[in-house]
Amino acid sequence: MNKNGYFIEVDSYQGYKHNQLVGGDVFLSTKIKEENRIVSVLSDGLGSGIKASVLATLTATMASRFIVNYIDIKKSAQIIMKTLPVCKERKISYSTFSIVDIESDEHIRIIEYDNPPYILLRESRIMDVDKNLIKVKPRRKKESQLYFSNFKAEMGDRIILLSDGVTQSGMGTPTMPLGWGISELRMFVEQIISENKTISARELAKRIVKKAMANDSFRCKDDITCGVIYFRKPRNIMVMTGPPISKDKDKDLAAMIDTFDGKKVICGGTTANIVARELKRDIKVNLRDIDPEIPPPASMHGIDLITEGIITLGKVAELLEMGVKQDSQDGNAAQKLVYSLLNSDIVNFVVGTKINEVHQDPNMPVELEIRRNVVKKIIKLLEEKYLKEAHLQFI
Amino acid sequence: MEKINIKICTGTACYVMGGANILMLEDFIPQDVKDFVHIEGSTCLEYCKNAELGKPPFVKINDKLISEASVPKILDYINHLTGKDF
Repeated sequence: MNKNGYFIEVDSYQGYKHNQLVGGDVFLSTKIKEENRIVSVLSDGLGSGIKASVLATLTATMASRFIVNYIDIKKSAQIIMKTLPVCKERKISYSTFSIVDIESDEHIRIIEYDNPPYILLRESRIMDVDKNLIKVKPRRKKESQLYFSNFKAEMGDRIILLSDGVTQSGMGTPTMPLGWGISELRMFVEQIISENKTISARELAKRIVKKAMANDSFRCKDDITCGVIYFRKPRNIMVMTGPPISKDKDKDLAAMIDTFDGKKVICGGTTANIVARELKRDIKVNLRDIDPEIPPPASMHGIDLITEGIITLGKVAELLEMGVKQDSQDGNAAQKLVYSLLNSDIVNFVVGTKINEVHQDPNMPVELEIRRNVVKKIIKLLEEKYLKEAHLQFI
Repeated sequence: MEKINIKICTGTACYVMGGANILMLEDFIPQDVKDFVHIEGSTCLEYCKNAELGKPPFVKINDKLISEASVPKILDYINHLTGKDF
């Protein structure tokens, strides 16, 4: 969260070209914690599949590194264009990009090259931003046109980045022979916002991509990518796991989660038992959906989710690392927790440091990690891969 | 017939030591006693912390604690309670 009290939520959603296992669009975001800065890049590589993926990944990675290190944009663009490998069939090297650089004082700079223009939403309305044309001419190559714009962000602003798969979706169909188009898309976005003013970046990106995929009857003709940056009021979540090192802290532990303002999750049977005992509440375990890998979730009045401890947290770390799409509350306890984490902005971990000796029994068929190490791993992933803010407190 | 309350521990130790399989218990209860059996899950029952009580997974049937529980072991005990053979 920054000094103006808002949190910058960055998320994206993607659909691949029909019959492709790899996307040729890349949305890459980097958070520079020390500078309180976020750089996001959306790049669309020439063609589709692996080849496009390589081009787009190269472009996105280079672009974000250059911008992070304040290398002049003209120079960066030239280097990128010169570096990209040349396509064997088309004899050109090409990849589009849109770069958003958000500095700590909410000063935003956006550089666009051949992607559909970004959309800026302010107070539910689409704003027009003045853009400067920059011409870049790498040696022996055709001149390219880049657009540069800058403005100051306000609370509630949304920046929507798109690949041409979105605007060109539905092309050739009787209802939209020329594709969805930017103006229809703008109307669609305004419609969504008017229905749901606080829709998350994640959900908005998903809605746009799903609509674009529907335009293509779910047999997409191109990769479809949407990235959304949302300057929002932060959504808080507390994840409490592990009993406190000394028993006289039990009361504090229960009070902490009871009075927390936001979503509340407990991971661990003993921890849940302590909270239930202190708050005089009942726990009910759900035995309807049994998962072979992850113990079932439980419920308690006032707590949003209760799961088993270390197996579930281990799985959560694994899922976050793999980067799975978790669009709903469905699934096992670990999937439910991943969903809750991704739908929050500030994650507060409260970790009891008591060691469960039974878990260290060498007869255990699986290796159970020490709780705080798993939590540290999850925090690292949330911060670096999902650009969340995470706090860790031991008790 | 008296009601039989079964509590299955879903804590970490019980789950990895075979408790996961016991959660399907309901499917194995014979039709004629099903109405008398109430199965519920529980967060860690904390029996695993006391080595004298035996090894996980733990299941509690009425007041009887069963260690190293398995579906056949539980069915045997229900059998014993109902006096039936199945």
